[in-house]
Amino acid sequence: MLSLEAQTTLGGFELDAALEAAAGECLALAGPSGAGKTSILRIVAGLHRPDRGRVSCDGELWLDTNAGTDVPPEQRRVGYVFQDYALFPHLSAWRNVAYALPRESRRERALELLDRLKIADRADARPHELSGGERQRVALARALAARPRALLLDEPLSALDARTRAHAGRELATALREADVPALLVTHDFAEASLLGDRVAVVDRGRIVQHGTAAELAATPGSAFVADFTGAVVLSGDAHPAEGLTRIALDGGGSIASTDTAAGRVAASVHPWDIAIAPPGDPAPGSAQNHLHAEVVSITAIGNRVRLGLDAGQPLAAEVTDAAIRDLGLKRGSRVTATWKASATRLVAL
Amino acid sequence: MRPFTALLAVALTVALLFLVIPVAAIFANTAPSDLIHSLGDASARDALRLSLETSLIALAVIVLVGTPTAYLLATRRFRGRSVAITLIELPLVLPPAVAGIALLASLGPQGIFGGHGPQLVLTTAGVVVALTFVSAPFYIRQAQESFAAVDPRLMEASRTLGAGEARTFWQVAVPVARAGLLAGGALALGRALGEFGATLMFAGSFRGVTQTVPLAIYERFATDFTGALALSAVLVAISGALLASVKLAGRRAFA
Amino acid sequence: MKRVLLVAVIALAGCGANDAHLTVSAAASLKQAFTAYQANDRYSFAGSDQLAAQIRAGARPDVFAAANTKLPDDLYAAGLVEKPKVFATNRLVMAVQPDSKIDALGDLGRPGVKIAMGSPDVPVGSYTRQVLGGLGPKLREAIMGNVRSNEPDVAGVVGKVTQGAVDAGFVYITDVRAANGRLKAVELPPPLEPQVAYAAAVVKGTKHPEAARRFVDGLPGASALSDAGFGRP
Repeated sequence: MLSLEAQTTLGGFELDAALEAAAGECLALAGPSGAGKTSILRIVAGLHRPDRGRVSCDGELWLDTNAGTDVPPEQRRVGYVFQDYALFPHLSAWRNVAYALPRESRRERALELLDRLKIADRADARPHELSGGERQRVALARALAARPRALLLDEPLSALDARTRAHAGRELATALREADVPALLVTHDFAEASLLGDRVAVVDRGRIVQHGTAAELAATPGSAFVADFTGAVVLSGDAHPAEGLTRIALDGGGSIASTDTAAGRVAASVHPWDIAIAPPGDPAPGSAQNHLHAEVVSITAIGNRVRLGLDAGQPLAAEVTDAAIRDLGLKRGSRVTATWKASATRLVAL
Repeated sequence: MRPFTALLAVALTVALLFLVIPVAAIFANTAPSDLIHSLGDASARDALRLSLETSLIALAVIVLVGTPTAYLLATRRFRGRSVAITLIELPLVLPPAVAGIALLASLGPQGIFGGHGPQLVLTTAGVVVALTFVSAPFYIRQAQESFAAVDPRLMEASRTLGAGEARTFWQVAVPVARAGLLAGGALALGRALGEFGATLMFAGSFRGVTQTVPLAIYERFATDFTGALALSAVLVAISGALLASVKLAGRRAFA
Repeated sequence: MKRVLLVAVIALAGCGANDAHLTVSAAASLKQAFTAYQANDRYSFAGSDQLAAQIRAGARPDVFAAANTKLPDDLYAAGLVEKPKVFATNRLVMAVQPDSKIDALGDLGRPGVKIAMGSPDVPVGSYTRQVLGGLGPKLREAIMGNVRSNEPDVAGVVGKVTQGAVDAGFVYITDVRAANGRLKAVELPPPLEPQVAYAAAVVKGTKHPEAARRFVDGLPGASALSDAGFGRP
């Protein structure tokens, strides 16, 4: 269990955050850039000392500004994957990984880790000779090398191109599971947060404005900020080509279409404001290809619009107007049809 | 070619001609036989040996003390830091004669620390002191810039990987800043090899003890212009080789 | 090539100078006297041998004044200057600090005594060696063994003594006088004392031959020289 509470002054605002992550759990810190997400990681790692705060991991106190405790970073044993990775430019890939290892048998252990992340063949390359995806894997191997007690990942996928990102994301999820330590992952991309985080904490101007599972946040955003930030809802399923489109058989039943091309396991994402709500039964004729039967599980007003949490086999969220709620007589438990266009459906291979 | 580009090209040509012609003239006026003859002279060999010895000792002292100094100035913020930087850089802009006077006023027999500790004036140790004084800022400034250019996240990464501050310094900061440190060392060594005024005022000129190559060149200038040219040629060759090897080492630093 | 470069350097140095002013290359020991003699001229004070070498390399001051007669005579023989004129005499002495216990040439041979002298090529250095040549080999060796610095001009020797870097140095009596009490002169035994005569010459090719000749002709007996302690030729 990793727990943190901290207050400190950053650039133009006050950081005031408290969070916990259990072993094997990945808590995603999501929010716009400059919100203070990275500062939270730095406080956990011991690289930034907050004005007031307390950090502990597995019952060991790392920081307590009241008691004057401040364990230096080198004794905290966190695995930190920096944004842009911060690989040592003068060391080969395996020596980067071996940096945290004891002298004896460190080459073997480093190569073993690189092998697990499938880049043992690049062990002797310097960072500048590696591709973005290779660097990300070396950085991950380096962070995992000394058997860290917590993992901190700062935008681990944002330096990668779209194609590499999906693949790297899947590997990262596996690595996080295997490491079985608390993990904090910083991202500005809600879709990434919902793919990799067991829970998501939305950070804005130094505060955690809401946290929960990605589906909870999308379905019942606590504020307009969270509603806008959460953006796309993610559905998982198996894709195959059909009639010039891609058809996705969703986990938990139902099927949808997308204009993106993909095959195999995919995550399909759609924005709540692209989803229209109709009474149950046969859908009205129109251009929309996707129709899912769903039950309304929550109704959350955000200003002049309303976020509907839906259960369509998988959690789904739609955004409609107050008038639509009245006209359709929607309440919790109402059955509806959620409708959207194939061209509003983005696919990411898993 | 566009007019502005042409202007730049003219400036480069003028700069090159002005800087290269005097150096080239040294070699144009030195027959290889003069060179050999001049190096065969015992006093020339004494001066060369003394110059190399004192410059290398000065460089060792500068690197030993200057590297941690530069690292501190580059990586920490503290009260008086900018004052410290300015004070360290001051000898850069001091005329050598002023440096000589300053050394006499502080470490000379009648200086504020005079009479205490070992006698430095007119000794080989005094030459080392003068060379260190005038060349240290060249190294420290360059080293500080190189350390400041090291991505702080590399050092933070090292810390999170279990390395303390000392190991981070040796295994990350120094190797990453290596090219800049080498360049700074070469600048300082070059400056030390060429030092004249402060050495003459503080350490005097005595063959084998305090007469470095520049002093020997000056002494020969009056009676033996050819010999002075030959000795100058040797100094140019040494300094040129130094500069070239540093450029090469810098290029290979990350290859 | 070297000639061209040196001329260029001198030309640059002379930029902005009023044409009416002379450029005078003079022995370091003449500094006080010459600046009192004609304050507005441009002076280059250094070891006479260095200045002579500059003229040989192509530098063209208007007047050359040396601390001996040999250097001007050599330049005259080389056709670089007009006929030199002896304009003053000086006396070589030992300079020590006012409270020094050294009061004879023989004291310089004692172990631990530190001495500065001019390098062999500069007049003051050659006079000094002339003096030492008149000593017995044992004392001469002892004194030479105590030498810590061979300075390129007499100013360097004076500086080393006033700073206490050395215990004694060989300089001219005029230098001791110019030091305003910070130095004491110890006279040399009269039989050993060298004849120190200063000679000046107009450099050939000067743009101001008249002014240069007036400068040289006015030197013998000038009050600026006698005030500084120089003797009449």
